[in-house]
Amino acid sequence: MLNIESLRFPRYEQPASLAPLREEVRAFLDESLKAYSPLVRSNTWDGFDPDFSRKLGAKGWMGMTLPKAYGGHERSALERYVIVEETLAAGAPVGFHWIADRQSGPVIARYGTEAQKQKIIPGITRGEVCFCIGMSEPNSGSDLASVKTRADKVADGWLVNGTKIWTTNAHRADYMIALLRTDSSADSKHRGLSQFLIDLKATKGITARPIKDLAGRGHFNEVSFVDALLPADALLGKEGDGWKQVVAELAFERSGPERYLSCFLLLSRLVDALGKDASPAALAKVGAELAWAVTLRNMSLSVAGMLNEGIDPGLQASIVKDLGCQFEQRLPGLAQELVGLEPTLADAGTDFQQVLGNLMLLAPSFSLRGGTLEILRGIIARGLGVR
Amino acid sequence: MNELQNMLEESVTRLFSEQIDRGFLAKVEEQGWSSELWDLVSEQGLTQVLSSEANGGMGATWADTFVVVRACGRYAVPLPVGEQMLALWLLERAGLPAPEGFIALLPTVLNAGATVTAEVARVPWGRQASHFVGLDSVGDLVLFEAAQASLTQGQNLAREPRDTVSLKDAKPLARAASTLKPDAIRWLGALLRAGQIAGTAAACLELSVKYTSDRVQFGRALSQFQAIQNHLAELGGAMASVDTMARTAFLALDARGLADASDASFEIAAAKCRASDAVELLTRLSHQVHGAIGFTYEYDLQFLTRRLWSWRAEFGTSGEWGEYLGRIATATGGDRLWALVTA
Repeated sequence: MLNIESLRFPRYEQPASLAPLREEVRAFLDESLKAYSPLVRSNTWDGFDPDFSRKLGAKGWMGMTLPKAYGGHERSALERYVIVEETLAAGAPVGFHWIADRQSGPVIARYGTEAQKQKIIPGITRGEVCFCIGMSEPNSGSDLASVKTRADKVADGWLVNGTKIWTTNAHRADYMIALLRTDSSADSKHRGLSQFLIDLKATKGITARPIKDLAGRGHFNEVSFVDALLPADALLGKEGDGWKQVVAELAFERSGPERYLSCFLLLSRLVDALGKDASPAALAKVGAELAWAVTLRNMSLSVAGMLNEGIDPGLQASIVKDLGCQFEQRLPGLAQELVGLEPTLADAGTDFQQVLGNLMLLAPSFSLRGGTLEILRGIIARGLGVR
Repeated sequence: MNELQNMLEESVTRLFSEQIDRGFLAKVEEQGWSSELWDLVSEQGLTQVLSSEANGGMGATWADTFVVVRACGRYAVPLPVGEQMLALWLLERAGLPAPEGFIALLPTVLNAGATVTAEVARVPWGRQASHFVGLDSVGDLVLFEAAQASLTQGQNLAREPRDTVSLKDAKPLARAASTLKPDAIRWLGALLRAGQIAGTAAACLELSVKYTSDRVQFGRALSQFQAIQNHLAELGGAMASVDTMARTAFLALDARGLADASDASFEIAAAKCRASDAVELLTRLSHQVHGAIGFTYEYDLQFLTRRLWSWRAEFGTSGEWGEYLGRIATATGGDRLWALVTA
């Protein structure tokens, strides 16, 4: 029997105490993003800029929720939420630190050994460490539990063989948290998986081959492991608990405001391109998307509030991501239709045309990364009690 | 939800689920009114939730009221519960005593002056009114007796009465400054319909989940098919989006009122725009998963979907509210758009 209440988004009232922080971030972003072109800013969480990440770290805005003992700031998840949504909406280049700040740091803080925490987390909180996620494999995409890359226990550690794919930033990251099979005999594919913390700069036998995306951009990779020897202390968390840990990690990955804010800059530029003399029909379409933006923002805030209160937001987060990626994917087509200008690459056209071109070429990924639309719909269907 | 909201939710759920079924809805549709249900609703104080306790009401907030409005949508309540709630609130706010009986809202801005001449179309349940209440172009609240108006009957797709009310040199029975904007009734009506659509969306989803879970084809329940699950998931998302935005608007009205530049207009416009926009998907997919049975008068779904198709347009379409929001966006400018979203 369906319980409608379980599907609703609890009201979340932002504490007024967050307002000064928001003002501070906005002023900082106004100032520090001046030199960045609209085209560069339209990359948001695909934008890669170590200097910018270090600046955020210096402000105390990296690893905000992590323990002070490791350089963190022990601030609330809601304070971190303010930083995340403000940087995304402004089109700040957050790609260098994105994965480390969002999930790797919290995962290490939760499952890591004392030595791992001391070694890694301080760098994350300074915005100086780039992480990548070794989950997908050539034959294991949405069906993540079918991963085959093996880590075999040997005398001096773990010997890794296999291939990971679609690994964003693997060619330039410092570390990877990988999901590897440590027991092939286990009768369930969910058992026998473990997570590893891999130092990419210090491990031999790992090769990252960039895979160009449809626009020729190099951000994701195929990563091959050929007898890559990891030290024994590379194991992250408990052997055999990899699946459980990954599910918890995916909750970080799916619940943030990045799931509807990838194209916000385009909506802003569209509003300016249309101007006050736009036709009523064009205004109506932009207005309907603005209504979506406000709606999604309230839904996303609700998810942040649930996380903050220790309530599992899995269902609500999936709904936000489902609706949010549809919103993001609609905007390039709508902007093209309403303004009637051709999308261009960096070598031609106005700022608007370049932003449009860039996002048009990024948009297909919105409903793929971090769980496809189809996987999300399955989770929602389960929430409705029909799966 | 707070204590009052829980109490309201419980009592409206009990009342409406006991009183309303498809036979009842069909009967009211034929007769246009149910005195029994109206009396029960009034006795339980549901039309007076917004009125102060001194005036016999509950002194509820708009956020509390959302619970009742949403339930009216969820059970397809075929009576103007929300309209009466608004009329009583308007009168009390302006310091005017409420007359007995149903007071219908006039949704268009009336002329200022000693007498009013107007032809007001699509007045919800105009024929049942003992009185009419409206706002004039200087923001005065004016009250008329039903006898002062002539009336032409009309109805919406759900056969809810939507009558044309004509006033000719009618002298208001009472008049008082409202301190609201002159078109406030249109805004409040939009908020009301957005809240009802949120409830009806939930009912469409519940009915769709139940039907597809019960109905077996090819040896398994329809809900076991991925294609159907996909439709249900989309219905769930649409319901949640409408519900969240409607509640946001009710809360904004508590926080900022409806009188000046910083009022709840933006949220109300966004709520009605989103709600009206969602109707297409809600009705299309609910009917799709029901197959032919949903297209019959005998089955409950049509009591919901015909209301959605009408409410989508009442008090402003998605396009009208979208245009309003689009104008705010272009006037605000791209650089400050995010600040507008997060205001």
